[in-house]
Amino acid sequence: MLRFLYAVLLGTVGAGIVHIAVLLLLPVVSERDAWSRLSQAGDLYTVTPLYGAAADRRILRSADPLFQAVACRFDLANGLTHIRGVGRLPYWSVSIYDRTGRNVYSFNDRSTTKGALDLVVLTPAQMIEVRKDLPEAYAESVFVEADIGEGIVVVRGFVPDASWAPAISRELAGAVCTAE
Amino acid sequence: MIQRIALSLIVIAIAIGGGTASVWYALRAQEGIGALTVGGWTAFPAIGTPEADPYAMARIARDGTLPLGRAEGLAFIAERDSAGNRLRRECDYRVEGLTPTARFWTLVATDETLAALGHGGRASAVQSRQVLRRADNSFAVGVGPHPAPGNWLRIDGTGPLALVLTLYDTPVTGGAGLGAFELPQVLKSGCDA
Repeated sequence: MLRFLYAVLLGTVGAGIVHIAVLLLLPVVSERDAWSRLSQAGDLYTVTPLYGAAADRRILRSADPLFQAVACRFDLANGLTHIRGVGRLPYWSVSIYDRTGRNVYSFNDRSTTKGALDLVVLTPAQMIEVRKDLPEAYAESVFVEADIGEGIVVVRGFVPDASWAPAISRELAGAVCTAE
Repeated sequence: MIQRIALSLIVIAIAIGGGTASVWYALRAQEGIGALTVGGWTAFPAIGTPEADPYAMARIARDGTLPLGRAEGLAFIAERDSAGNRLRRECDYRVEGLTPTARFWTLVATDETLAALGHGGRASAVQSRQVLRRADNSFAVGVGPHPAPGNWLRIDGTGPLALVLTLYDTPVTGGAGLGAFELPQVLKSGCDA
């Protein structure tokens, strides 16, 4: 009996270890995560509709049907990432995620000077280079320093009602995502 | 000898079975580590920040979602009405009260996996700019299969229901006043027998 209790106790301790191991391994081994789904849908620097557009092109599950979103995967090893083009929407917001889906930084349309999206994602080392001589093209950009390597930029646009949907989908599809 | 093998098998079974089951349960539960509960509503304020805990990260990976960031918004989920009963699609509810400061909010009816419900190609969702309000700025939205006067969020079918209230561009996510605000109540008005 005592040996059985000992086995149960040992098993419980083991369960704790397995719990922690599974928890930490899930983000690493998951093949259903956003990065994997996006890589099936398009190459790096391709602006891909995430949800909200045609239902057959929905890649991620959206919690909010009153939103449309596009995403662009990037790799800072190829140089800094420049995303621009979205404006004149009732509301838009941007998030930068690392490869595992951790939200590194986010902002919305009220954070920009002209209400249009102009975002540069770069590593601290690239930031030092850019600071030396700020190119004219980045004069109005929002700079986000992120030491993440690979990542995802998501632009979300609010659709107040169905009549807005085509205009917002067109505006979001017009976003440009490049490595420079 | 056989006893020793049996005991080892018990240890391994408890470790692997218990370990994976506890992770599965912890990720499935709407309450839990990192959750903020206000009234009947639950949110995970840290999920969209760089400080997301391992449970939040595992949830993100398993669901394949990209959570809203701090500057974007915060989603609150209600799975029970104010009396503590599970929400059902056969029943009529009233979501009534005030929301914290936000640029706008959306209220979406979803199934238990948080996939939005719809009817005839239209999603079951309302947003604050189309909601009729009372003189004191509070509002009431009828949720259910039967038409309601004022604001009505139509749902069809049977099965479990969840309500997702997302506040966009809200100071609530900044941490200031977290927990010191009120969210609307979910009141049951009746059910189809």
